[in-house]
Amino acid sequence: MFVASFLVLPVGLYLWLVIMPFIQAFQISLTDWSGYTTGFNYIGFDNFINMWDDPKQWVIPGFTHTGIILLVLPVIVIAMALFFAFMLNVGGRSQGGVSGVRGAGFYKIVYFFPQVLATAIIAIVWAQIYKPPTTGGLLASALEAVGLPYPENGFMGSTSLVLPGIIAVMVWSSVGFYLVYFSSAMAAIPQDIYEAARIDGASRTKTFFQITLPLLWESVQTAWIYLGIIALDGFVLVFMMTPSQGGPNHSSEVIGGAIYKFAFGSGNDAGMASAIGVVLFLAVLILTVVSLRVTRRERIEF
Amino acid sequence: MSNPDTSDLSRRRLLQGTALGVAAVPAAGFLAACATSGGDADSEDVTNSGDAENPFGVDPAAPLDVVIFDGGFGDKYATEGHQVMYNEKFPDAEIIHATEEDIAATQQPRFADGDPPDVLDDSGAGKIAIDALVNDGLLAELTPLLEAPSIDDPNLTVQETLVDGVLKPGIYNGKVYALNYAMGGWAIWYDGKLFEDQGWTAPTTWDEMMALCAEIKKAGIAPWTYAGQHPYYLWDSLYTLAARHGGRDVSVAIDNLEPKAWEHESVKLAAEALYSLQDKGYVLKGTPGINHIDSQTKFNNREAAFLPCGSWLANEQIDVAPDDFVYSAIGIPPLEGSVQPELVWSSGEEPFVVPEHAKNKPGAYEYLRIMLSKEGSKIFAEKAQSPTILKDQEITNPPAAALASLVTTAENAYRPQLADWYIDFKEQAEPALAELMAGKITPDEFIGVAQKAADSVAKSDVEKFTQEY
Repeated sequence: MFVASFLVLPVGLYLWLVIMPFIQAFQISLTDWSGYTTGFNYIGFDNFINMWDDPKQWVIPGFTHTGIILLVLPVIVIAMALFFAFMLNVGGRSQGGVSGVRGAGFYKIVYFFPQVLATAIIAIVWAQIYKPPTTGGLLASALEAVGLPYPENGFMGSTSLVLPGIIAVMVWSSVGFYLVYFSSAMAAIPQDIYEAARIDGASRTKTFFQITLPLLWESVQTAWIYLGIIALDGFVLVFMMTPSQGGPNHSSEVIGGAIYKFAFGSGNDAGMASAIGVVLFLAVLILTVVSLRVTRRERIEF
Repeated sequence: MSNPDTSDLSRRRLLQGTALGVAAVPAAGFLAACATSGGDADSEDVTNSGDAENPFGVDPAAPLDVVIFDGGFGDKYATEGHQVMYNEKFPDAEIIHATEEDIAATQQPRFADGDPPDVLDDSGAGKIAIDALVNDGLLAELTPLLEAPSIDDPNLTVQETLVDGVLKPGIYNGKVYALNYAMGGWAIWYDGKLFEDQGWTAPTTWDEMMALCAEIKKAGIAPWTYAGQHPYYLWDSLYTLAARHGGRDVSVAIDNLEPKAWEHESVKLAAEALYSLQDKGYVLKGTPGINHIDSQTKFNNREAAFLPCGSWLANEQIDVAPDDFVYSAIGIPPLEGSVQPELVWSSGEEPFVVPEHAKNKPGAYEYLRIMLSKEGSKIFAEKAQSPTILKDQEITNPPAAALASLVTTAENAYRPQLADWYIDFKEQAEPALAELMAGKITPDEFIGVAQKAADSVAKSDVEKFTQEY
């Protein structure tokens, strides 16, 4: 009893600051609260129904693009990070001991660089790189110089390139971290397993798929969940880099942006923002459960 | 609710500060616990007694809470001007001043707490949509102010000292809720020096514009550029071409969401004219993908000859443009057969509002009345370098004077409102306007999108506003 009394404060704070706001999001999603008044009316599930009319074109494009990022980002990042980590740790010359390619330590540092930059700085740097050639956009100018097709209005000015452009920046900024993460997981795999495989004459590819990947499975699963969370965000990059914060023509709206626009932007509808938040919450919950189920494997002890 | 005790308040603040993102929304809604709809703070109605000295019955000791937007006009005009004037009149009144860059982010919790400022300069990218505040009943009507005697001439009401029609953007269903204090508008800018050197004259008709564009292009300069990332800079060009051609009624019909208003012949011609700029290669390459700073830089570098922009441009660019740059403005050259060729998008800008639940409403009205005195207007012109909506001021600022001279009579000033009134319309039609200017969709497709967007607003249950002239 005496010991439990120590828990009152932290648990109380947790309930007050974390659990309460969540519950209130559910409460407010059932109201017409604009965010400015001191009171509000309950309107049942109207927000959840009206959401899909979407006259502002924030919600449906937002869910679509967030869905695309959610499918694409973890796959690309994990594939690239695994490949690089493998090359840096195991992929070295095929005679002698197990080691990475030459200069592995240097590469690790270089790949990790983006991780130490604040997202805001990444957004500013890449916005410059993506600009039209007229205003000195690095990438489009380079493409123009070598005679390849390039977007005349810049990558962020093109409805078809803006989303891939944002995803590319997300990949660029997260690969380094997962490379280091997988590297340390690989370091925990006993060397003799690799040596045995090599003596048996296994190729690099075979070693990767037969040994490294199965033994890393739990790390990959964790990375998948973290990357899913990053994919659901994407909000800062979209807000800082794209025209009209989700444009051009709503082709880079993300769901976090839609919530922001309703709650604090020109939408003036906190009830709707909460409703979208609730839908997102449920979607994430289902996705997490499903993905944990699907990716479940037997644990390998080593 | 009218007097929340301090612990309650700090608890709420703590919550709002801690819970971010979605979580912040419900946090502010904590008030649900102590307020139900309609149970808002008591608000006294301010009346105008007609007394020239203190028409609103200001309590001389009551503090006045002023929030100024930190933008192109700065805040010196308020802190070193209007607030000093207020204190001269009421020496005992404490002025609580804040300068904010993001009005919505900083003021939303105050509105939700029922503790808004007394005077709010609701401007900038983070402004709170005034129609939303009006719909929620959170703004005080400004009629008592407009009917009160003017400070300079007690025989005139405040409204009589203002330029005709400037209050229009602050009117919601016949009542003035926002005082748009600075005189502003939209124009097509060009560099007088460049034009003189090259022997070009500013076009007076659209045909002349097209002929000149061909000549400019031959000289190796891009005829047009604009802020492609911010399509709202283009509404003036489209609306004014259409309204000059078909008369102001074309724009009024559009604002009032009349069926087929967008399919009017004049709108079609205007859209075709704008489309032809890109079509004929008269727009600086890459323009649809650049922002306002890029477009202004290109313009200042004389890489582009014309730039559509607001009246603030010249002042904003003083330190950036080359010394010999002569900022000159024209209205968009009218199409052939225009019935109102001198129409100019101009009105008050920079909205000042008084929240309905402000603690010192009489003081707020008095503060606005001081702003609208000759002295207050002069201070604004000096510190913010822009004319105000007060009649008969001496405009010493050349670009502002140039713009003011574009408006010849009150009949020739108009102010389209559609994209400001209905966010649903704006979010659908503005991207289409950008695509029209970029040559990605045809004028007919653009009109189709705009008409559909207007129709869907007309059908929705969003509160409607009407444009009256």
